Order: sequence, then structure tokens, then C-alpha cells
Amino acid sequence: MFERRLYFHIDWALLAAILALCGIGVAMIYSTTADPTRASSHLWVTQAYAIGLGLVAMVVTLTLDYRTFTDKSHFIYIGLVVVLLYVLFLGTTQMGARRWIALKGFNLQPSEFAKVGVALVLAKFFGEKGGEPQWTDLAIGGVLTLIPLALIAKEPDLGTAVTLVPIFIAIAYLAGMRLRILGIIFLAILLAAPPAWMFALKPYQKSRISTFLDPSQDAKGAGYQQIQARITVGSGGLTGKGFKQGTQGQLRFLPVAHNDFIFSVLAEEQGFAGVLVALGLYLFVILRALESARLAKDQLGSYLVLGVLASFTFQVIYNVTMSAGLAPVKGLTLPLMSYGGSSMIATLAGFGLVLNVRMRRFTN
Amino acid sequence: MAIEERRKANQRLSGLQFVIAVLFSLLAVCFWVLQVVQHAKFEELAENNHQRTLAWRAPRGLVFDRDGRVMVENRHSYSISIVREHTKNLDHTIRTLAAVVGLDEAGVRAIVDRHRREPTYRPITIIQDASLAQVAAVVAHRLDSELPDVVVEQVPTRRYPDMIGAHLFGYVGEVSDAQVAENEALKSGDIVGQAGVEKVYNALLKGEDGAKRVVVNSVGREIRTLDEDEPTEGKRLQLTIDYDVQKAIEEAFASAQFNGAAVVLDPTSGAVLGFTSRPSYDPNAFASGIDRETWTTLNSDDLRPLQDRATQGRYSPGSTFKMAVGLAALEEGVITPDFHVSCAGHATFYGRPFACWKKSGHGSVDLRHAIEQSCDVYFYTVANMVGIDKINKWSTALGLGVKSGIDLPNELQGLVPSTEWKQRVKKEKWYAGETISVGIGQGAVAVTPVSMAVYMATLANGGTRVTPHLLKAVDDGTGWKPMPVPPPQSKIEIDHDKLQAIRDGLWMVVNAGGTGGRARIPGHDVAGKTGTAQVISNAGRLAAARSNKDLRDNGWFVFFAPRDNPEIAGVVFLEHGIHGPNAAQVAHHILDTFFAKKDGRPLPVVPTHEQMRLDYKDPYARKGDNQGGGQE
Repeated sequence: MFERRLYFHIDWALLAAILALCGIGVAMIYSTTADPTRASSHLWVTQAYAIGLGLVAMVVTLTLDYRTFTDKSHFIYIGLVVVLLYVLFLGTTQMGARRWIALKGFNLQPSEFAKVGVALVLAKFFGEKGGEPQWTDLAIGGVLTLIPLALIAKEPDLGTAVTLVPIFIAIAYLAGMRLRILGIIFLAILLAAPPAWMFALKPYQKSRISTFLDPSQDAKGAGYQQIQARITVGSGGLTGKGFKQGTQGQLRFLPVAHNDFIFSVLAEEQGFAGVLVALGLYLFVILRALESARLAKDQLGSYLVLGVLASFTFQVIYNVTMSAGLAPVKGLTLPLMSYGGSSMIATLAGFGLVLNVRMRRFTN
Repeated sequence: MAIEERRKANQRLSGLQFVIAVLFSLLAVCFWVLQVVQHAKFEELAENNHQRTLAWRAPRGLVFDRDGRVMVENRHSYSISIVREHTKNLDHTIRTLAAVVGLDEAGVRAIVDRHRREPTYRPITIIQDASLAQVAAVVAHRLDSELPDVVVEQVPTRRYPDMIGAHLFGYVGEVSDAQVAENEALKSGDIVGQAGVEKVYNALLKGEDGAKRVVVNSVGREIRTLDEDEPTEGKRLQLTIDYDVQKAIEEAFASAQFNGAAVVLDPTSGAVLGFTSRPSYDPNAFASGIDRETWTTLNSDDLRPLQDRATQGRYSPGSTFKMAVGLAALEEGVITPDFHVSCAGHATFYGRPFACWKKSGHGSVDLRHAIEQSCDVYFYTVANMVGIDKINKWSTALGLGVKSGIDLPNELQGLVPSTEWKQRVKKEKWYAGETISVGIGQGAVAVTPVSMAVYMATLANGGTRVTPHLLKAVDDGTGWKPMPVPPPQSKIEIDHDKLQAIRDGLWMVVNAGGTGGRARIPGHDVAGKTGTAQVISNAGRLAAARSNKDLRDNGWFVFFAPRDNPEIAGVVFLEHGIHGPNAAQVAHHILDTFFAKKDGRPLPVVPTHEQMRLDYKDPYARKGDNQGGGQE
């Protein structure tokens, strides 16, 4: 359990950077939604509550030894699959997707927690195996990833589902998977793309990708968001238009500005300077957390850190690229900044595990 | 944990850290390119996104009568337009808008198609004068974020409160493509004068449109105004028209229930006091964009209500032409006022018989009595003596057969024949026998009512062919500035005694035994002349008797008053009015109103149709009179 001396080994710098990003997020949500004439004007308060809950979750994931979590990871994993099945059949439907469980007061999105669950179970699996993973190990790890992935993709929430893939690849890579195999996996994904295009993707998903390749092809329809995102970012300039002074986000030319496109709003109102600060903080968080993986006292710990970090990093890079209109528009939020309670709680809980590993690097 | 494995893992972690650092650097470079290198381009795009320039139409200048009474004003109306700049689905917008305002979808589409090539920020006006229900419906849908590309604007719209003098004031309408092409100051969608004073003085009346730059959100709602360029109201015009005279003209025509035209002038300056052409139309129907149906009806109407009969209708003057013949003979020294002709009811010239309207004959008459009695034989004789070219010369000097120069669009020229004209147009020699019917205003003679008004003004003022004009003063916001009276078209010296003989004859027409008694105003010495002119020869009329065409004679009354130092001159023309005296009856109300106002009497009440006691007896009953003649 928690020993007093561990307190001194908490990575305060990492925590500070994380909280700074949360603060920027709340400020941007306030900027885009705080308007007494709108029903959504209280969103920044909700987000602040979510951060509070996330910090509680973080304390929980920090207090218990991470090995306690990995030891129970198969239970966590099974529980996760059961909850995802529940969502699939009995969840709340919003905007055509069944992604939520309605709890008192708010909707819980279990797929956000799947990232932590998969990271735990894969860390345990590869950590206990030890040595270079064999084909069978990769197959088992792959199946463990694919089960929740398929359930989430079925909701449908392809964006969140895809974030599980980097967890598997990153842990397998760190475990010593041969680069040749990594190459084969990428090749397989590449070969799977055309049939996936033909059969698996829904028309709206196809249109997102094809309009990304040529936004002007549908400038008023699906390409609209991408064009508007680029205008939003580009019009920000070096120093930005000022807090609450953005026109693209404020006047709602950019949809879901407080959510998927929060980074675009930051770029518009705070300019390139604000972008550098935010990117710097994210880079600091990621590199600093990777240091924890290096310092971890066991493989299990470093795999866990990397698993948590893999989906986080993937999401940050993808969302920021999309915010600049340089990637197809996907329902992928920016962790720590975008509006969303489940994502915030799950992400902070995940970082609790990262802090946990670093903090306990000297304990047995 | 094996040392080797640890080393390998650390290597791989370093590799990951490196890759991530590179990716973040790339992202930073991308943002640098977008935000710093291409900033100007995106800033402009963002501004175009949320800033919109709205046209702000200038109200046209008001139009007043000579006493400062408002005759044309503006009212507020709402127009509903589509701005395609941010339209995502134009088809959907058209369909929704048509359903919301209750219009035919195809009609809305046709309007949009007509303006499709214009810049997308320019509004396409769908409804010019929307009802409050339509405005409310559109506004309600906009609150639901539907129809973000539809704007409702308050625009000043022309209003003609009394609906009188339609051809005088004209009407306004959207500028045509041809007009835009020839006038750089105009742009598509502008409202300009298309007829009458509105057209002639459009440059004065138009004003300068302003503009308003506003911030709009993604659903097109205006958030705030960035800056405004207020429109400049058009200049205010004061016309020479006298509202009371104008109203009297319209009322008298309405009571008489005849179509035709009237022009009333101040004979000393040519200032137009009253002006009408009937049948008329409602210029208000054009002010808010005339609908296709009304336009088609106006254009296909056999009575041609859009034609301005006063300046574009050409008719035989009949007996009203006799003063021109008489003056030509006097001035050329062919006759003196005492020249007598003996009328036996008919006379023979060049072997052909010509009848006088009075079968029993007038006996021996001099010029004064020939005018009073409208003796045809007298003017056959005099015309024959003076010759066609001299008649042409003197009637031109009096204002007939030439344009009056009035400041209204598309005035047509009348015709008084001459040998030169016949040679030029018909390539034939003039036969002396043709001069005989010209003597009583028949044959090839054709005049416009406005030129008849000038003719009477010239006789009234002693030879100055004044230019009829409508503009008295202009106010560009700094006070009224009187406009100069346009110079006369020509001026001749007429011997006073000779002119007096004609004036005496005209006075006798009204105040002695003549046919113009209906126009008599006690104490004001009205001088005038009736005329009844055939629209077709008697033989032709017999042949066409079964057709539905109105072939009844036209009725004229030309006048000035008082006989000495005249203050008013003019013409009343009744299309198919049957008898000149009917026109004199209409003129009576006009003259009575004019002098009542001058004398400070209460203005006369317009007589009812019955009180006018018009003569509907059709002289067509008299057969065998196959040589046209003035019947009075």
C-alpha cells in the first residue's frame, strides 16, 4: 500500500504538465461555449468536475501497486468485454451510435476505459512471458486486442477502436518483436485496406477518406470541416486573435469546436505561439512518461507505461494533424483538452499508472 | 531481467522517443506553414466566412407638386432574398423557401437561374414586397437554423398615393441587362425609373446606395454591424404640376368615362400644370416588382394602357386645325379678317364636291364667324388659296407636326403634310385637291395632344413656341433650387390684329353661338375650339360596321383663357368621344378648378356622369357624306 516515502517519488513535473494541458482545455471550452444565450454554456464546469473525478481515479491507480492491477487484469479485461457487450445491445444511442451507458447525471463511454484495460492485460501477458515474443504470443496478444476492438468498432466507433492497435504494436515492439514482423503487420494492414474499403467501411467513412484526399470535391459537405479547420488554424497567425476573439470557432463555422476541433480553436485564438506551448507540453508529457518506461524496475512496468502512452500519443498526433485539416476528419478527441468526461477520467487514470510505475521503481 | 534484454529495450525506447520528437517537429512545421507562411490567405478566407456586405438601398427622392404637395413618396417594404455565398444545398433552399412563403417552386427557381452568374455574395431577391406573414414565416425558420442563406431586408419602395398621372410620373422597376450595359453607374438589381418622370430624372431621383458590413455566424444570423455606409437619399423634385388641376383632369375623365389624354400648360412658360393619358394603370404595381400576370394583361390589352397617348398618340386634329390654316392665310397676306366666303353647305374644288358639316350652309361668313361656326367651306376655300406648303410652314411655327420637347421619354412627332414630305415619303407629287381636306384638319394631318397644347399656348402668348416642361425646382438636401425654364423652341412675330381676329373667333366659339359653350366659365373669357375627327372614312366605317372595333369619332377641345393675357392653355382629347363638345364638357371642370383656385373660390365638385349630359348621338347615321368633314 501507499508508503509515505513514495510521495517523494511522484513525478511532479509530469503531473504539472498534465494539469497545465487540462487547464488549457478548460479555458478553450470556456472560450467556445460560454455564452449565456446557449444551453451549452456550462460545459466548462462539467469538464472541471470531470478533471476532479479523473484526479480521484488517478489517486486510486497511483495508490495501489501497479502489479496489483496487472495481477487482476484478466478480471478487468473480462469485465470490460462484458460492459462493451452490454453497451452494444443495451447502451444509449446518440447520433446514430450506441456508445454510452446512461448513469445518473452523465453518460459513461466504456470504450475510453478499454484503452487502459487492454494496456493492463497486454502488459501482463507480455511481461510474464519474457523474452522475444513468438508468433503464438503475437497471435494471442492480437486476439486480446481484437476482441474489444471489434466490439467498439461495431458500436460504431471506428476512431476509438483503432486507438487500441498502437497499444498492441508498441508493447510487442518493446518486448522485442522482430522488426521484420512489424513490417509484415504494416504490410498486412496495407493489403487489408482495399477489401476493407470495399466491404467493411460504411459510406460515411468512405466519404470522409475520399474528401480528405480532395476536400474541394465536396466543399460544402464532408470536405467542409476540413477546409474550415485549415482556415481556422491559418487565420490564427503568429499570436492569434485573442481569447474568445476567434471568429471561426465563436461563430460556429467549425463544428464541435469544444470537442474534436479544440486544438484548432487554440490555434486560432492563441496563434502559433499557443500551438508551440501546447505541443511542447504534450511532447514533454510523452517523452517524460517514456522515461518512466526506461526507469521501470520490471518489464511489466515499462510495458504498462508504453501501453498507456501508445494510444495517448497516437490520439494526440492524429487529432492535432486533423485539427490543421491535414488528416481525414475522425471522431477522435484530443486527450486532456477535448470536452469529454469518460476520456478525461480514463486518461488521468492511465497516467496514474504511469506515475505509479515511476514512483515504485525502487520498491520490491 | 537480463542485461541484454534491458539494453535492447532501452534502445527501442530511445528509438520511439526519437520518432515521436520528429513527428512533433513535423507538426510544428506544418502549423508554422499554415499560421505564419500562409496566414494572409487564410485570414482573408476567415473574413469572407463571417463578414457579409449587405446592400442598403437609398430611398428615391420625393416628388412634389408646384405647391409642395407630395405626389410620389416612399414606404417601407420587406424583401426576401437568397445569398448563395454559404449555401450548401441551393436546391434545398429553393424548395424550403418556396414552401415557407407559399410560392411556386418553379417560379423561385426561374428567378435564381436568371441571376445565377452573378457573384454569390449578391442577394437574389425572390420577393420584393413580402407580406408580414411571409416575413414571419422566414424569420421563424431562420431561428431554427434553417434557411441560413435567406435574408429579409427592409427596403424603401416607391408609393404613388393618389394613383393619378401614371404616365406622367411613370414607374420604377429592376434595371434591365441592356440598361446596365449602357450605363456604368447602374448595376444588376438596381431599381430605376422605367417611364415618365421617374425615367427622365432617374439620375436625380436615384440617390446613392449605401452598404453595411456585418458579422454573421455559420447559420447566417447577423451578430453585429462592423461599419455602415449610409445611403444618400435621392434629390427631391418639385414639378410644375398643380395637384388640384391634375386631380380635376383625372376626375373629369373618370366621370366622362372616355379614354384619351389632356395636357394643360402655363402659356407664358410652358410649365405643365396637368397631364394625363387614359386608360391608366397603377404604377404601384410596378414599385414592388410587377408580377407576370399583370404585366401580360397590361401589354395585351387592346386599349394599350401603357401607351402615353399625350406624347405618343397621333390623331387627326379635325376642326381644331382651322386656326392654323386661318393664321397662315392671314400672315401670308392671302386674306384679311374681313375676307368673306359664302357657304351653301357644300362647294366644288377641282371637280369634286366637298360638303360643309351644316347642310343648309352658313351663308356669307368672315374669319371670326367661320371659326365660331366652324364653317368647312370657308377653310376649304382659304386652304386652297394659301397652299399646302404655307399651311405646313405656319402650323410648324405654332407647334404642330414637330416634337414639343417635353421632358418625358419617347415623344413622337406628328405630321403636317407638305409637297416635300409627299415627294420624300410617298415619291409622289402633291395634288392641289389634297390641300382641301387638310384645310379642315383631315387627310394626312396627325398631331399629338401635347403638341396641340403647345399650339394653343403659342396662339395665346402671341407666337412663342414654349417648351412644355415638368421640372420646377430640385432640392439636393441644401434647399430648393429653381430650375431654369427651358428656352422656347421658336418664336414668330404675329401681327396683333390678325391674331386678335383668331382669338375673337375662339372666344365666340365658347361665349357666343359656337360649339364650345360647355366650356364657358363666367368672368374668365375662355377661348377654345372643338373638333370632331373621324378615325375612318364613312365608307370604311360602313364596311367595318360589323367588327367589334370602336370606330366612333374622336373628340377634341383646345383652349386658352382668358382671351386677353391668357394664364392657361391646353387640350382635352377624347378617344372615340364622338363629339368635340363632349371634350369641352371635360375641359370645363379643369378650367373651373383652375380659376376657382386662382379666385380663392372653393374648388368645384366634379360633376357626375349624368350631370355631364354627354352627347352620345352618333353622327354616323348621316350617310352619303363620303368626303370627311369637321362636323361642327
